Amino acid sequence: MSTRHCNRLCLNQKLAILWMFLSGAIVSSSEVETSRPSDSRNSDDGKYILRSYFDRYENLDDPSFENFMTHELSPSLCQVTPENRGLGVRLSVRELSLVGEGSHRQLSSSIRLQTGAESIPELPPHICEVIIIQRLPLGVFADPFELQNLHKRIGFRDMAVFGDTNLELPSFRSNRSAVEVHIDAGSDILFTQNSGMEINMLLPLHARYQPLDESGYSIIEIGEPDILTRCSMEGKQHKQSCLFMSSNESGKSRTRTVEWKIPAGMKAHAGFVSVVTFITASLSTVSIVYASMFWSGTKVLKT
Amino acid sequence: MNSLKPGSIFLISAIFRVGLILYGEWQDAHMEVRYTDVDYLVFSDAASLMASGQSPYKRTTYRYSPLLAFLLIPNSFIAASWGKFLFSASDLFVGLFIRIILKQRKVPDHLCTYSMLIWLFNPFTFTIGTRGNCEPVVCAMILWIIICLINGNVVQAACWFGLIVHFRIYPIIYALPIILFLDPRFFQSGVKPLLCDWTSDQGKIRQINSQVTDQFDGVFSSFVLAFSSDYMDGNFYMRHCSIILLAQIQDIIFPSISTISILTMNVIFRFWKSSSPLVLVFCFAKDLVFCFFVQTVAFVAFNKVITAQYFVWFFCLLPLILPWTNMKFKWQGLCCILLWMGAQTHWLLWGYLLEFKGKNVFLQLWMASLLFQAANTFILIMLIRHHNYAPVFRQHTGLKTTQKKHE
Repeated sequence: MSTRHCNRLCLNQKLAILWMFLSGAIVSSSEVETSRPSDSRNSDDGKYILRSYFDRYENLDDPSFENFMTHELSPSLCQVTPENRGLGVRLSVRELSLVGEGSHRQLSSSIRLQTGAESIPELPPHICEVIIIQRLPLGVFADPFELQNLHKRIGFRDMAVFGDTNLELPSFRSNRSAVEVHIDAGSDILFTQNSGMEINMLLPLHARYQPLDESGYSIIEIGEPDILTRCSMEGKQHKQSCLFMSSNESGKSRTRTVEWKIPAGMKAHAGFVSVVTFITASLSTVSIVYASMFWSGTKVLKT
Repeated sequence: MNSLKPGSIFLISAIFRVGLILYGEWQDAHMEVRYTDVDYLVFSDAASLMASGQSPYKRTTYRYSPLLAFLLIPNSFIAASWGKFLFSASDLFVGLFIRIILKQRKVPDHLCTYSMLIWLFNPFTFTIGTRGNCEPVVCAMILWIIICLINGNVVQAACWFGLIVHFRIYPIIYALPIILFLDPRFFQSGVKPLLCDWTSDQGKIRQINSQVTDQFDGVFSSFVLAFSSDYMDGNFYMRHCSIILLAQIQDIIFPSISTISILTMNVIFRFWKSSSPLVLVFCFAKDLVFCFFVQTVAFVAFNKVITAQYFVWFFCLLPLILPWTNMKFKWQGLCCILLWMGAQTHWLLWGYLLEFKGKNVFLQLWMASLLFQAANTFILIMLIRHHNYAPVFRQHTGLKTTQKKHE
C-alpha cells in the first residue's frame, strides 16, 4: 500500500513539475503591457504648443517642427508691423551650457526678456508667460516624474515632456522628445518700456545607452531652446492671447549648441566579450554543479 | 550576548528603524540626494492613482502587483511614509520568523540570538525597508511559508506561496524544491511532521536520500522543458554589457553571422541557467531552507540585473542556515564577507566611473562583473562545502513499522 501511495505521489510530483514549467512558459510568453508615456493632461486646454505639434506629427524632427513654428503658429502671433516693431517683447538666449558630469547632467539656459522701447498703455490688463521649448536630440531624455517634483519645488507655472518618454530604451530604439516649460513673466509688462528680466533654467537630462562607436563615445549636440512669450488679456467677450517669438525664429537656424560626450561600446570588443562571458558562465555553472553533487552528502540508492 | 533578550532586540530594532524613517524624511526635504528609494515614489504614485479609482499601471515604470499599490493607499490620506512603516514592520517580522523557525528546530538560544542580529542589524536589510523598498514583505512571506511547511500546514503554505509568486515572480524557483520536499513519509494526514533537531555534532552528516532515481527522473524530464522555457530569465548581469555591444552587430557587415552568434549564445546561456538551479534542487531539496538559499544565491548571481535589493532575497535565509555550517567566522567566514564586499565595491567603482563621471569603462566594468560572478560562485561553493546537510524532517516510527511488515 505504501509503495503504491509513493508511486502515485511520484506521478503527482512529475505532473506538478510539468504543470509548473508549462505555466511559466505560457506566462512568460505573453507580454506585459506598459502604460503609454504621456505626461500632458488631456484637459490642458491647448496651453501646450508641443501638444498641438504632436497632434499633427508622430515624431519630433527639426524640419517639421520649424515648419510648424513658422507656419502653423502664425495665426497666434501678436501683430507686429514695421511701424510698431519697437513694441512688445524680445527674447534671446544669453547663455547655454551643460553642467555636471557623466550620464546625468543639467542643461543651463539663461534667457533675457526685454520689453519694447515704447509702452502700449491702451492695452487691457494682461498676464504674460515665457514658453521655453527645449528640443532634445536622440540619445538624451528628460524624466517627466523628476520634472514634476522639480516643478513643485521651484514654482514654474507648467512643465511637460512630449515625444518618447520611455526612460529605459537605448538610443537606437527610441525617438526624440522635447520639454515645454511655462514661466510666469508677470502682469502688465507691456505697459513698461525697456525693462527686462533674466530667466535661468536648469533642466535635468539623462543619457541613454548609445549605439556602438569605434571611438568609444557618441557626441550629442543640444541646440538652443525655442522661446516665446504668450500674453493673455481679457477681451470684450473672452480671453485673448497672442505670442511673441524670439528673434532667433523665422527660419533662421539656431547657432548655439552644446556638446555632450557619452560613452559608447566598441564593436571590436564584441567577439571576445561573448566568448569570455560564455567561458566564465560555463565554469561557474560546472563548479556549482560539481560542488553540489560532491558535497551534498547524498547517496543514490535503488529502492 | 546571552543577556540580550529577544524582546529588547526587537524594541531596539524598531526604534532604530523609526529613527531611520524620520531621518529619511528630513534628508529628502533638505538635501539634494534623496534617502527614499525611487521605487517608493513609483509605488506611491500608483497607490494614489488607485485611491482615485484609476489603474495603478497608468504610472509608467510601475510593474508590480496591484496589491502593493493597494497596501500603500494610506500613503494618500494617513502619511506619505505609511509604506515605509509597513515595510519596516515586515522587516521585524522576518526577525521574529527567523527565531520561530530556529527554536522549532531546537537551535540553542545564543545561536538564535546571533541569527536574529545578523538580519535585524544588517546594513543592507534595515536600509532597504526604511528607504521604502517592498522586499521585506516578500521575505516575511517566504519565511512564513517555511513555518507552515515545517508545521505540516501544507494548504496554508500553498495559499501563501501562490500569493507571494503573484507579488514577486522570483519565488517561483522554490516550487520545485517544495514539491520534492512534500514527501509522504513525512507528511501524513492528521499528523504533524517530525522535525530533525539541530545537533551540536558539527561532523558531516551523511543522509540517505531514497527514491533519488525516481526524483531525478521527474526532474530531468522537466529539465527539457526548462531548457525551452524562459520563465526564469536568468541571463546574468555581465552579459548585459556584451548584449549592448552585440545588439548592434546585427546592423553591420555580416548580419547572418551575428544573428547566428546571438542565437547560439542565447541557446547556450539558457542551457546553463537551467542546469545549475536544477542540480541544486535535486541535491538539497530535503534540506529545504538551505536549498532555498543556494537557489536564490545562484539566481541572483546569474541574473541579467543585480541591484542591492536582490541581496535581501538570500539575506533573510542566511541566518537560518548558519547554525548548520561548520565554517568558522575566523577566518573563512570573514574572508568570504570581505571577498564578496570587495568584488562588489570594485564593480560599483567602475559603474560609478561610467555613470557619474562619463568615462568609457565598459570593458573594465564587464571584467569587474566577471570577478563579482566568480566571487559569488566561490562563496556559494564554500557555503555548500561547509554546510551540514540536515533534512528538515525525520520519518515517523509508525510508518517505518508498516514498511518493515510489507517487506
